[in-house]
Amino acid sequence: MIETISGFPFGIVPFGDIVFGFSEFSIIGFITAIIFTIIVYLTKPEKQLEAEKFRIEDKLEVVTLKELKIRRMMAIICGIATAGAMLTCDLFDFALFLTLVGIANIGIVSAVKKEWVLNASYQYGLIAMISTLPLFGSAGMILAKTGTLSLFELSKTQISLLFEKIIFAAGMAGETGIAPFYAAKAEMFRAPGSPYILMIHLSSLLLIVRTVEILLTI
Amino acid sequence: MENLVYYFYHPTILVGFTVGILSLLAISFQKDDLHALILTDVVDCAMLLIIAGVGTDLAEALILPGLVVSLAELLAVSEVLITKKYLKSKKPKPRRYKLFEEFKLPLHTGELKYNVEMEVLKTSPKFLAIVLIIYGAVLSGFTGGAVIATGLLFYALSQRVIGVNISEEIKALWEGMSGLSGVAWALWVFGFLGFFIFPDKWLLCLLMAGLGLVIKVGSKLGLIGYIGEVK
Repeated sequence: MIETISGFPFGIVPFGDIVFGFSEFSIIGFITAIIFTIIVYLTKPEKQLEAEKFRIEDKLEVVTLKELKIRRMMAIICGIATAGAMLTCDLFDFALFLTLVGIANIGIVSAVKKEWVLNASYQYGLIAMISTLPLFGSAGMILAKTGTLSLFELSKTQISLLFEKIIFAAGMAGETGIAPFYAAKAEMFRAPGSPYILMIHLSSLLLIVRTVEILLTI
Repeated sequence: MENLVYYFYHPTILVGFTVGILSLLAISFQKDDLHALILTDVVDCAMLLIIAGVGTDLAEALILPGLVVSLAELLAVSEVLITKKYLKSKKPKPRRYKLFEEFKLPLHTGELKYNVEMEVLKTSPKFLAIVLIIYGAVLSGFTGGAVIATGLLFYALSQRVIGVNISEEIKALWEGMSGLSGVAWALWVFGFLGFFIFPDKWLLCLLMAGLGLVIKVGSKLGLIGYIGEVK
């Protein structure tokens, strides 16, 4: 049952060593990421109305044009990286895409000129930097143990990769900022500018699902 | 005892993990933001150590993307930190920072306190830059380009430090050289293609590729010094 989690394979793109593959699973994720990237490109950012407690005046938070440009660009980069991570069939390449998404996530919120947002983004950045050690370390150890990084070859090997898989999952958790490291990222979501913030959410969601698929197949 | 270590993993991997865990411990003790960031970079170095522990050609090819990714994250987080500190300091007037400003002699004012009149300050940067450029031209290839760029950058930065503007002729020359880099790139590409199409003429192709790369890398990296001078 687990062998069929990625679904029917439609074909591969043989770009030398790093192979991109299309399966039912990856195509769905790819199309979702691309559609959301287009939505991010086309929509205008939200305007937040902050209610003031015990005071009359409410504050309207508007995303300025200069801020909008850099955030939109980073959100589009994030979407493209997510789409690439859906298709790639090379473990190290996937780890690189994961890290790229982490950098783009920092970039999306770093243009916001608010101290608490920047504080949260800084904490998230530290976690993302630290989690490159388990992520790339496990990829290197898998390479050392099995002699390949291709997911097609890894699914055929019989060697136990339990420790490496655990470390890879830990690295993914830090890079996408899920449950144990969620505290910093939750603050980031409160920054104004909706579609860009949604991109952070969507990219980490898709990457988690894809990581689960990879860890089940190899 | 040795067998016990080898039973789990190769010592390199264990050293990498030990460095990572010790750095995490240090980060947890650290209260200062900047120190925590620098210690986080040590964790990235431990990551490179683990990949290097694989010890094959492929691992060598994997180190470069790993290094680039960790550097990119370091740059992004440090930029966030700078903006955060700037917002915290709440200066009324935003001040524009110049590239490589920290290389000016007194860090606070950016000006020399005393009027230093020393011949060696004016002559030695030129001499060292020329030596580096000639040495880079002899080396050729990517390494030579990096050496040439180091010479150019050194010249530009030292002129900045002693508070002298780079003359217009040198700036024009510099711009011309960077214009040449496109041609040099084409030379490199043709030289590289020549390896596969005409394997007999490998020496000519090698010289073409080396010459193209030295001009391209030297002018491109030297541009950093040029950008700093443009108002």
